[in-house]
Amino acid sequence: MNYGHPLEFGTFITPTGEDAVTLARRSEELGYDLVTFQDRPFQPDLHDTWTLMSWVAGRTERIHIAANVLSVPLRQPAVLARAAASLDLLSGGRLDLALGAGAEPDGTAPDGSWDAIEAMGGPRLDPDGAVDALAEAVDVVRGMLDAGEPTPLCFAGEHYRIDAVGRGPLPRHQVPIWLGGRERRVLRLIGRKADGWVVTLGHLGPGDLRAGNKIIDEAAAAAGRDPAEIRRLVNIAGTFGDERRGFLQGPPRAWVDDLLPLAVEDGAGTFVLICDDPEALERFAREVVPALRAAVDAALPAPLPTGPVRGAAARAKRRTGIDYDGLPRSLARTAVEPGDIDYPRVRANYMRGGSPGVVLRPGSTAEVAEALAFARRHPDLPMGVRSGGHGISGRSTNDGGIVIDLGALDAVEVLDEATRRVRIGPGARWKRVAAALSPYGWALTSGDYGGVGVGGLATAGGIGFLGRKHGLTIDHLRAVEMVLADGSVVRASDTENPDLFWAVRGAGANFGIVTSFEFEVDEVGAVGWAQLGFVASDMAGFLRRFGEVASTAPRDTTAFLVMGPPRRGQPAVAQLYGMVDSADPDTVIAQLQPFAQIAPMFQQEVVIAPYAEVMGMAPDAEHQGRGEPVSRSAFVREVTPAFAQAAERLLTSGVVYFFQLRTVGGAVADVDPDATAYAHRDAGFSVIAMGVDRERLDRLWDGLSEHFDGLYLSFETDQRPERLADAFPPATLRRLRELKGRYDPDNVFRDNFNIRPIPGTEEKP
Amino acid sequence: MSDYGHDLLFGTFVTPTNQPAAHAVDLAVASDRAGLDLVTFQDHPYQPRFHDTWTLLSYAASRTSRIHLSANVLNLPLRQPAVLARSAASLDLLSGGRLELGLGAGGFWDAIEAMGGRRLSAGQAVEALEEGITVIREIWAADKPGPVRVAGKYYRVHGAKRGPKPAHDVGIWVGAYKPRMLRLIGRAADGWLPSLGYLPGGVEDLAELNAHIDGAAVAAGREPGAVRRLLNVSGRFAPTGRAFLDGPAEQWAEDLAGLTLEYGITGFILGTDDEYTIEAFAAEVAPATRELVAAERGAVAAGPA
Repeated sequence: MNYGHPLEFGTFITPTGEDAVTLARRSEELGYDLVTFQDRPFQPDLHDTWTLMSWVAGRTERIHIAANVLSVPLRQPAVLARAAASLDLLSGGRLDLALGAGAEPDGTAPDGSWDAIEAMGGPRLDPDGAVDALAEAVDVVRGMLDAGEPTPLCFAGEHYRIDAVGRGPLPRHQVPIWLGGRERRVLRLIGRKADGWVVTLGHLGPGDLRAGNKIIDEAAAAAGRDPAEIRRLVNIAGTFGDERRGFLQGPPRAWVDDLLPLAVEDGAGTFVLICDDPEALERFAREVVPALRAAVDAALPAPLPTGPVRGAAARAKRRTGIDYDGLPRSLARTAVEPGDIDYPRVRANYMRGGSPGVVLRPGSTAEVAEALAFARRHPDLPMGVRSGGHGISGRSTNDGGIVIDLGALDAVEVLDEATRRVRIGPGARWKRVAAALSPYGWALTSGDYGGVGVGGLATAGGIGFLGRKHGLTIDHLRAVEMVLADGSVVRASDTENPDLFWAVRGAGANFGIVTSFEFEVDEVGAVGWAQLGFVASDMAGFLRRFGEVASTAPRDTTAFLVMGPPRRGQPAVAQLYGMVDSADPDTVIAQLQPFAQIAPMFQQEVVIAPYAEVMGMAPDAEHQGRGEPVSRSAFVREVTPAFAQAAERLLTSGVVYFFQLRTVGGAVADVDPDATAYAHRDAGFSVIAMGVDRERLDRLWDGLSEHFDGLYLSFETDQRPERLADAFPPATLRRLRELKGRYDPDNVFRDNFNIRPIPGTEEKP
Repeated sequence: MSDYGHDLLFGTFVTPTNQPAAHAVDLAVASDRAGLDLVTFQDHPYQPRFHDTWTLLSYAASRTSRIHLSANVLNLPLRQPAVLARSAASLDLLSGGRLELGLGAGGFWDAIEAMGGRRLSAGQAVEALEEGITVIREIWAADKPGPVRVAGKYYRVHGAKRGPKPAHDVGIWVGAYKPRMLRLIGRAADGWLPSLGYLPGGVEDLAELNAHIDGAAVAAGREPGAVRRLLNVSGRFAPTGRAFLDGPAEQWAEDLAGLTLEYGITGFILGTDDEYTIEAFAAEVAPATRELVAAERGAVAAGPA
């Protein structure tokens, strides 16, 4: 039988000299999927296989790399697991892990002898012990690589003991664990635990392959696994010639005839050619591989799949109520389920933990529409839409629902250099946008952190370091392409669907999924970038003076302030992050001077640097938020003495650990409040407070409402419905509800501060 | 004053973080491009945020062309010395002679034991390291007759084949602070690789620690100069001099040249993950330090005028 794996081809190269590297590179050039090396640590003529594999990974780009097979008795499994994750990360997901017990049960070649292992300082194991040790090693390696599991790894085996070790790192891809061997106990172990069987055809007698598969399949079924989870990799050797002289002895056509039944009847999913002759490698790749693929496809009732095979363990982690098997093929290829290796990378966002049932990763507008249609088939489940996953409000993940992750839509392209028109995908991060625009001498004002994604920020507002000079990010938006709730793809701009374009700029999350943004960006050269640390002994006084200076500064200067609670027995400190849109040091110093006089400074760093460099300080780390963030947002027109005192009380309450003032005004206020759904144009500052205890923070924050005039949804975590009325003035909210009735009458987009539709004339019957 | 007369090496000590995965490799490439002699990575296999150091060394070696690489230092208790010897020889051969072998006896025993390693007392760890060094040197001694036989208390190798022979004379550099380990270095190692930050008395401690190594070397019939002295340092560039390695590049050069001439340190390994610092260290500090040391050594060699 055939197990339905995509047919793959590899090479088996003697790990010696520089030739091993050359042949590995040649294997890649010839299109092989895999290059493998035997591992005989006791054999000084051969390279250390792990070292060679790591070296080859650095000299290749596409091909997967494996040992054939790694001798476990001379390796430390926990260290091996870390090494495997490292190599997989460094190589971009190209390590496959093939392990062996070290020697055949009878203690002889071909895979080594116990004498040789013992001579190197390894243990001498009896046949049962060797298989037990191998089984334990598989458990240890799997446990170590299961980095999504929060508990430390404990393992008390007879051969290996692991005592509360932190798991990880998370490999780049699901590193398969294949086992080599042909003895019954090893085969049963493969059936129970492994992802593949590596076997050398030349070591088998007639019928052994089929018999081995049977043992594996039975053991798999007994362990509740699908035998199809286990790939069968067959090492083969032969010679090319004009005439057939025997099995794999003859012309390529004869090879195809010999290998076809192995794939179709004996389940071989991977053929690994044992060969150090570049000519034969080429001949096999060019003349055997394509013909064999065609022959296999012709012989099988259905074409072989191209996607990953999800094992029983992964399927067991699926959530209820999701039609996983009904995912369209285009999305199934990249979707992430709870049992998948990438799940820990996409489940959480910057501050909020999450456990979505499935994360869809569309790669095109059409796939976004498909993802949305899939989500609509699950009307009772939450649906999050994620661009960079940074949003403090945390709405881009959920528990048990569907997340549409737009990370793959991350292109940044210049449409017209003369008008500085740029098209940007929602999944790009501002760091990358800044880096892409920098060579043109351009920048687009974003937020205060380069790790934030485009989609969330550019549909909410965009309060950033160039704001007072250049306005909000949405003020640069000229058009969007978006997928609406009904799956239609529309453009919105001042001339196309202008009311939708109005709504998208401030309330976009309620109206659809923007798949590309067209911005008119600004000419921005190098900027002055300041980080000033102040001693703010008189907190209220300090805040008031900062408010005065920041709001009356020239427009080229935008300053944000961060404070935390004062430490016991020490004066409060404040950190100012400011940008001056000027490359002239004298101007930069002159604009910063008034800030420097607010209070004594304990730290000052001022540099002239490209905007892209300031954005570039954000690390490329994956989001690992846990729990629920507690953050409140508000706008204030000015820092009045009363508000400054209230802020001091807040900061000394023990409830708030982070407090930020972002200066707005300037160009932001030039725009008519009715021009966009973002209406709080007269705000002087955006205020953010973060705490741990939601109830206490809400109580304090709600008590400050007399000072507040609106809020910014991206920094708000309070889910009470009143927040919507804070976010949008009455007239704006009314219009938004009407438009919601028109564009999303079924209220599909409801998980990110829901604007409820007012049923309109165009409501569907 | 003890200057052992080695040429000077300048290197980096880069955090082997695995997120982003390419970070450490990028900085190794930057160190290579900047013209530094050495890039090194710490080795803590129990730390999941770090790359496996051997894998990283091998991968980084394949992405660089001229720079030497070393662990700083390799955790021997979680590595098999005979396998390590072959691995090191492999990497030295593949890289065209660019591997150095920084070794440590281990220290975080709870973590080592948790990973499946063997817990040793400080004294046992020194003995084990010495046995490990013997195994490694024996495996490398491909030209010696007969198989390797080391019947140690901690490592037993009996009958393993010798080889391969590394492409160059791989230095075995040991990180150490205590007299017993320093004496081991004097007897058996090619280099000493401590961190300045771990010396309670700062640079002045170097004299006494050097003396332990020198004494043991002489007792073992070796020249003290057979042991290169390297030092992990940290510092920052600033417009005006404030403290040791806190000031302009010229001041760094004076500080480091002082270490060479005063304490015989001839390998300076700077802990940094910053590309600009790496470039400044290579372009400004290294040549100026070499110049100062060469001038002073020349003056000494020429004798009083």
